[in-house]
Amino acid sequence: MIDVNAFLFSVLVFSLIMNLGISLYGIFWRPSLVKKIIALTILGDTANVLAIVVGYRAWIAPNRPPIPPVLTTWKPTAADLSKFSSLAVDPLPQALVLTAVVIGLAVTVFLVFLTIQVYRLHGTTDVRKIAKLKG
Amino acid sequence: MISPETLVFGVLAALGLISMVATFMAVLERDLLKAVLFSAVQSTAYAFMFYILMAPDILLVYVPVAVGLYPAVILFLIKKTERFEGGEEE
Repeated sequence: MIDVNAFLFSVLVFSLIMNLGISLYGIFWRPSLVKKIIALTILGDTANVLAIVVGYRAWIAPNRPPIPPVLTTWKPTAADLSKFSSLAVDPLPQALVLTAVVIGLAVTVFLVFLTIQVYRLHGTTDVRKIAKLKG
Repeated sequence: MISPETLVFGVLAALGLISMVATFMAVLERDLLKAVLFSAVQSTAYAFMFYILMAPDILLVYVPVAVGLYPAVILFLIKKTERFEGGEEE
């Protein structure tokens, strides 16, 4: 008997890794600088989703899903904490991804500025033409 | 009867396949305006994926950034430069 849940999870991880490959192709082999920036945002988002997938945890029963890593009481008792640690997903990748999303936005805005400068100076965003320019 | 666990993983796999198709179309499309739209579709699939993977705080940051600001900034860039990859209208 094939494990359906493991198969579906493998499909998810496979599609994410395919996204990494396709966006790397876009970064390295597409000529337009704008297309390179689009592929770079896709690459960063896919890396973030992979980090979140690593922090996910297995279900303890088919009808007991994991909970978000949020404590909902001000003074948690020992029972609250043991329920939290047995059900909540890993909060560390979520903290890292939260920072990475904002840094990715800043890097993208900087690259957009650089591309506008390249277009103003050389009149093209095609790297094949920019590579042939002298001086 | 399908169990909730299988349902959740099935939705995750479907979102992964949708995002894979959208990425493929975004990278191969020669009209950069359409490429930005496909990239927004892929970001929307990722946003649902964050919600299902129990990261609602990431979702609150990711939706305005990746569905709102990335396409807006890149549309601004396309407006300032050229619309078609590999020169105008071949």
